[in-house]
Amino acid sequence: MKTLRMMALGGALLATALAGPATAQDFPAKPVTVIVPFAPGGASDTIARLATQAMQPTFAQPLVVENKPGANGAVGAAQVVRAKADGYTIMQASIGTYGINPALQPNLPYDPRADLEMLTIAVRTPNVLVTRPTLEADSVDALIAALKAEPETMLFASSGTGSSDHLTSELFWQVTGTSGIHVPYKGGGPAQIDIMGGHADVSFQNLGAVAGFVRDGKMKMLAIAAAERSPEFPDIPTFRELGIEGMEVYSWQGFSAPKGIDPAAKETLASAITAALKTPAVAEQLKGMGFEVLANSPAEADAFVAQEIDRWAEVVKAGNITPEQ
Amino acid sequence: MDILSDLLLGAQTAFSFSNLAYCLLGVFLGTAIGVLPGLGPTATIAMLLPVTFGLAPETALIMLAGIFYGAQYGGSTTAILVNLPGESSSVVTALDGYQMARKGQAGKALATAAIGSFVAGSIATVLITFFAPMLSHIALAFGPHEYFSLMVLGLMASVVLASGSLLHAVGMIILGLILGLIGTDTNSGEMRFTFGMFELADGISFVIVAMGVFGLGEILSNLEDETERSTVKARITGLMPRREDFRRMMAPVLRGTGIGAVLGILPGGGAMLASFAAYALEKKVSHHPEQFGNGAIEGVAGPESANNAGAQTSFIPMLTLGIPSNPVMALMIGALIMQGIQPGPSVIQEQPVLFWGLIVSMWVGNLMLLVLNLPLIGLWVKMISIPYRYLYPCIVAFCMIGVFSLNNASFDIWLMGLFGIAGYLLRKLDCEPAPLLLGFVLGPMLEEHLRRAMLVSKGDATAFLTRPISAVLLLVALLMVVSILAPAVRAKRAEAFVEDE
Repeated sequence: MKTLRMMALGGALLATALAGPATAQDFPAKPVTVIVPFAPGGASDTIARLATQAMQPTFAQPLVVENKPGANGAVGAAQVVRAKADGYTIMQASIGTYGINPALQPNLPYDPRADLEMLTIAVRTPNVLVTRPTLEADSVDALIAALKAEPETMLFASSGTGSSDHLTSELFWQVTGTSGIHVPYKGGGPAQIDIMGGHADVSFQNLGAVAGFVRDGKMKMLAIAAAERSPEFPDIPTFRELGIEGMEVYSWQGFSAPKGIDPAAKETLASAITAALKTPAVAEQLKGMGFEVLANSPAEADAFVAQEIDRWAEVVKAGNITPEQ
Repeated sequence: MDILSDLLLGAQTAFSFSNLAYCLLGVFLGTAIGVLPGLGPTATIAMLLPVTFGLAPETALIMLAGIFYGAQYGGSTTAILVNLPGESSSVVTALDGYQMARKGQAGKALATAAIGSFVAGSIATVLITFFAPMLSHIALAFGPHEYFSLMVLGLMASVVLASGSLLHAVGMIILGLILGLIGTDTNSGEMRFTFGMFELADGISFVIVAMGVFGLGEILSNLEDETERSTVKARITGLMPRREDFRRMMAPVLRGTGIGAVLGILPGGGAMLASFAAYALEKKVSHHPEQFGNGAIEGVAGPESANNAGAQTSFIPMLTLGIPSNPVMALMIGALIMQGIQPGPSVIQEQPVLFWGLIVSMWVGNLMLLVLNLPLIGLWVKMISIPYRYLYPCIVAFCMIGVFSLNNASFDIWLMGLFGIAGYLLRKLDCEPAPLLLGFVLGPMLEEHLRRAMLVSKGDATAFLTRPISAVLLLVALLMVVSILAPAVRAKRAEAFVEDE
């Protein structure tokens, strides 16, 4: 018994000695704040909370989720960019904050490419083309024909100007050579209600957000903007299968840290976050929300964000939808 | 008799020991935090959300729902005692509730709020039980045109709120509408009147304006004159309503319940109008409209019932459609998702324990709220007799905490200070803040729905009149204008005749 205790003590001493003086190797030495630049209860917030909860048992310090909503994530992101790049302030935000704001707002107080380093793209969910249940068009072909027959008449609901679903509508019009009327709402919920109520005609929504309504017959789903069909809706074709290229659109969420973070701290955080996202329980819960876990590497995530910003900047320019018109 | 077996299932869930305990805990915590100025249901639930992670889904939801009613009720307490409405629905409660408190009837006002809320909550729960799936269709029938007409009706009703000069009231409403324009324009995505500050990109929070104009404004004007401080000076007369008070209360409570239950179903901001509409109605049907604004018990009973009935029925769109009708419901949906439940049309079938358990617990929660709060009234009433120099610094501190908790931003505290000065000046100018707040709440929705309606009907304004629900709402609004103007017109005419003679 005594020897055992001695051994344990010795082991502990050895471990302390190996760890050396207080350097970045000690990360984390104090609680880590995860800024969510959106209100509590939304997708960004839920993902941050699920991930940190799963990380907590093996993470040496508490992980604190802090909501800093405002301006589609710009207020919170600006704060993260101003924070010390020591790994104790990180962010969990959406495609809007990382990929679309830079394309849309010229005076943005941060640039995701210059001021942030991605830790991982956590999850993604494809956008799907849904219509009101009473719309005559039963396929994408029929819809395009109807749009071409009467340009600028059909109502395309979105969760807001410059939202991922708005830009997806723009992209759809651009690649199919059609047009419609964009009707922005304040958030996805009201837009979905008006599709179900028949007050608007067409919308691009996240698969997870509308899956229940489609199953219930309250909306019609015509196509999915993903690389492959969804196992949940095996009958719904992808745009590529329909001969429409360039319509692969996912909404995604990702973790990031201020530029210049210590590589060791970055590695610790990135591997803890991706491991947490990949635990079966978390992956299962995220799947229930319609999300597919990506949990890619920091380098892949950085490249992806840069690519998304370029892509949406092009759509914004072609559609002439900058706020300063 | 499907419903009976469903209710039995619900009762088994709600009456289990742990669910009862968590319901009580939720109601208690909600009340305790809700009475702190500025901390409304949203902030309370956001703070306590992590507590529910380890619980079973139905227990978590029951507790969160308890916090929701508790905080809502606690908010009315602050509105009545210290004239600090923490959310739009308690603005009107402050109008007459605070006047009652100043007359030494704080206990009676609080009891009226508690009893009215309980009756309304019970009736609304029955409505949900029998009609929830059917009622969700009403939510879908309301498109942009209908919402716009509803908001117009609300705006007309807000003129009735004023107890002083009509001109001042209209001016305040317009000022509120203008303040509501600050923030990102929904249609173009352009930021308006934000002076390049991203903190203003989402507009100014209601709580900031209310805390500033009502709370700080009141405190500033009280500091000015030591002899005329308007805290409760009068001796406290009777904690409980008497029989004649009950008689005056019953009809307003029932009318308020009806209005609240219907408006609560509408996810596009209908619930916000409930208490305003109930107040306007009570003032219109009362034989003593001059008492309103001076401590009319009907002016507390009606809006409080409407508010609570609306709070219950706002669960309908959340549970049957999976769509949040307010930030609290958005949080509840978030909580459900964390529990692995996707709220939506299929919840009733797939999660009967959750759905029916919640419904039965709504009633239980309301009962607990009543039982918990009636004995506490004495304590609350004593609280406001705390000397001024201790009470007011505390109120200011809590206001700051509450406002900070909205977005975790110190910018918001400065903004509240600014509105405090504005509130003081308005008081000096004899302008009431309530119409300003209503204009502020309605303005953005009015604009949003008008512009969306015009987009949807491709610029055709006649659609407001050709759609039946919209047309009826506009007609009622017109009647309301006529009824407001008629006495004034008649008086003018009488004057003119006098001059003729």
